[in-house]
Amino acid sequence: MMLILKPKKDFEVSVEAEITPDLAEKSEEEIKNFEVWYGKYKVKLGELFEIKKEGDEKKLVLEGDFSRVKWIGRGMPDGEIIVKGSVGAHCGAFMSGGKIVVEGNADDWLGAEMSGGEIVVKGNAKNLVGCAYYGDLEGMKGGKILIEGNAGNYIGEKMAGGEIEIKGNAGDFVGTEMKNGTIIVHGDCGFVGGDMKGGTIKIGGKFDLLPSFKKAEDGWVGDINVGGEGKIVKI
Amino acid sequence: MLWIKNGIVIDPKNGIEGEKMDIFVKEGKIVEESEVNKEECKVIDASNKLVVAGGVEMHSHIAGSKINTGRSMRPEEMRVVRNVAGKFRAVVGRVLLTAPGIGYEYAKMGYTTAVEAASPPIGSPHTHEELDAIPILDKAALPVFGNWHFVFKFVSEKDQEKLQAFIAWAIERTKGYGVKIVNPGGVEKWMYGSNVRTLDDEVPIYGVTPREIITEVVKANEALNLPHCVHIHCNNLGVPGNYETTIETMKLVSGMKNENRPVLHVTHVQFNAYAGSSWRDVSSGAEEIAKYVNKTDNITIDMGQPIFGHATAMTGDAPFQFTLHRLTGARWSNKDTEIEGGAGIVPLVYLPKNPVHALQWAIGLELGLLIDSDKVVISTDWPNGGPFTEYPYIMAMLMSKRMREKELERVSPYVQKASSLPAIDTEKTLYEVIKMSRSLPAKILGMENKGHLGVGADADIAIYDINPNEVDPSVEYELINKAFRKPAYTIKGGEIVVKDGELVAETWGRTFWVDATKKVSMEAIESDLDEYFQNYYSVERINFGVDERWVKKPARLEVK
Ligand SMILES: [Zn+2]
Repeated sequence: MMLILKPKKDFEVSVEAEITPDLAEKSEEEIKNFEVWYGKYKVKLGELFEIKKEGDEKKLVLEGDFSRVKWIGRGMPDGEIIVKGSVGAHCGAFMSGGKIVVEGNADDWLGAEMSGGEIVVKGNAKNLVGCAYYGDLEGMKGGKILIEGNAGNYIGEKMAGGEIEIKGNAGDFVGTEMKNGTIIVHGDCGFVGGDMKGGTIKIGGKFDLLPSFKKAEDGWVGDINVGGEGKIVKI
Repeated sequence: MLWIKNGIVIDPKNGIEGEKMDIFVKEGKIVEESEVNKEECKVIDASNKLVVAGGVEMHSHIAGSKINTGRSMRPEEMRVVRNVAGKFRAVVGRVLLTAPGIGYEYAKMGYTTAVEAASPPIGSPHTHEELDAIPILDKAALPVFGNWHFVFKFVSEKDQEKLQAFIAWAIERTKGYGVKIVNPGGVEKWMYGSNVRTLDDEVPIYGVTPREIITEVVKANEALNLPHCVHIHCNNLGVPGNYETTIETMKLVSGMKNENRPVLHVTHVQFNAYAGSSWRDVSSGAEEIAKYVNKTDNITIDMGQPIFGHATAMTGDAPFQFTLHRLTGARWSNKDTEIEGGAGIVPLVYLPKNPVHALQWAIGLELGLLIDSDKVVISTDWPNGGPFTEYPYIMAMLMSKRMREKELERVSPYVQKASSLPAIDTEKTLYEVIKMSRSLPAKILGMENKGHLGVGADADIAIYDINPNEVDPSVEYELINKAFRKPAYTIKGGEIVVKDGELVAETWGRTFWVDATKKVSMEAIESDLDEYFQNYYSVERINFGVDERWVKKPARLEVK
């Protein structure tokens, strides 16, 4: 079943809602009673959102402004989420399969530590895309994140696999401590590859290179400070 | 008043080995049957159940700056929710628990006493604040002496009188329980960029050697007749070939004797029992150490058993932590504690397929199996070797060769050639593991009312759902492993705190501290203390240490 959610009001504080396409397969009663956090209060999904079911795909359609709704698609294994607006932080974190399409913008921690599946953002994304949470050793391990607009700082920190593609520009510290996988920035960005151990960063525009990279045939290799063998390639 | 009825009792201190008995409790103590009015007793039916003293943890890092720094440098640990606030307090942590969790988890395993094994003296107010946040358990802390400039000074001046006065002063000021030394001399030398490698390397400026520091501190500890012996973390920890240093250290006390307890406790020996010359050819030195410990009668050790999975190395041994950080590439935090020592913290994970980790795991077990059960205590050196909550696993492993064979299948085959574990047939008995986790640690700590069930003992009791006369731990190891994780009852000071493995009450234990100041003349060190505080400390002497009134439930032990 396709499930359509619409915010009933402008949220005063952020909502933490770990909603995934699984929800679409539950009964209307269960969906209404699904527990989310509204600031410090635990509330039912039905209190904050209008709920409508139609069609027969395993799909979640979020209509309206979800920019203060966090954890959308957290850990989802399959199915699809379409957001006809912007999303809050941690969208697609830990996801292992399925697809999320955000027609607006995404906030921080998009696809953090994801291991599979696909995220497409038609607008811009903020910081820490595909990153590891503080203290964890590996960021994104698989899957693909495509951002059609620009992205912020710390893209793909500790990334260990998969692909992040940014059509526009990115900020500083792209691929910091990166271990594997690919980051593509078509536009400009700031510092890249600090403490990078492996993987590839491809850049179309201008960027800042640290002195700890050495010239190779098709670009640069480093970060030699950590004995790294990551590649930075100009496209 | 409690009447624990028909339990099967194992109480090694009193020589009771699986006898059906009743136990009576009044005002937090174990008493004679005639002392209680049975009508007024709450009756606990312990039929077919094992009744033992509450567990005594003699070496764990439960409070103070190290564990707290570990928590802040490992946010990923804090994302694991173990207990949501409700009837009991909230607890988070995977292997590094928050303070209430430490009390809860020990109690949920049948342990009722725990000692913080390394407290930086200037941080003792912090240590006590955290100890005060740990519910249920009786507690104590061991201040560290092995790199304190006063110790170097009095040892270099060969002034036993001053050294004794200083130790008595420091233990009183920190509300400490005994003397801990960590890599004596080495931590100071590291401040100059190196480490001591033998017992005869000199500490810069003072010119003293680890050999002299250990010998003189043990002499002072014995002269003061402190309840606990010197508790040592040896030099060269974590270095292949270090088993020789460990044995050499043990030899320093040969000929010394104490009627009531050992004169030296060597801690987390697994980390100090490596043979070989590098990590490429490292092997176990456990057999050599076991041979030496078994033939002496004044030394005890604890295992420092690694558990596969997450751990966090944290010791007062700053140079070792730096080496570990370089070796693993993991995060590292370093502490310099004025003129008293240092410390470091490094997160790590023990992996069964990693040859070195598997060897460390095997060495811990070798020590536990090859050493007489009245000389070796169960420990993981939490959180260095892994979670203390895995003690039931260690107990079951010590009692079952079958379980060890099963476990050996999943670890690196390197263990087969580098350790003797696969060839060891020893299976400790239930009586022996109860000794290794109760009466022995209590004896080493000099806690007379702990670790046994005799009349006059503290009513710290654990009841497990196994009948020692029917169970065969060598075969039914899974049952043992399960039962020790879920006591039918944990009773602390006569109050039931755990029932069927679940917490039912939160109580507050005491903090034991030792006062030996009447045995010394403080005048001898007045001018030295003044001089060092004026010149080297960030606090005034008057502000140093902990007043008894700041401790939640202090229990002062005066040394006669
Ligand atoms: Zn320790």
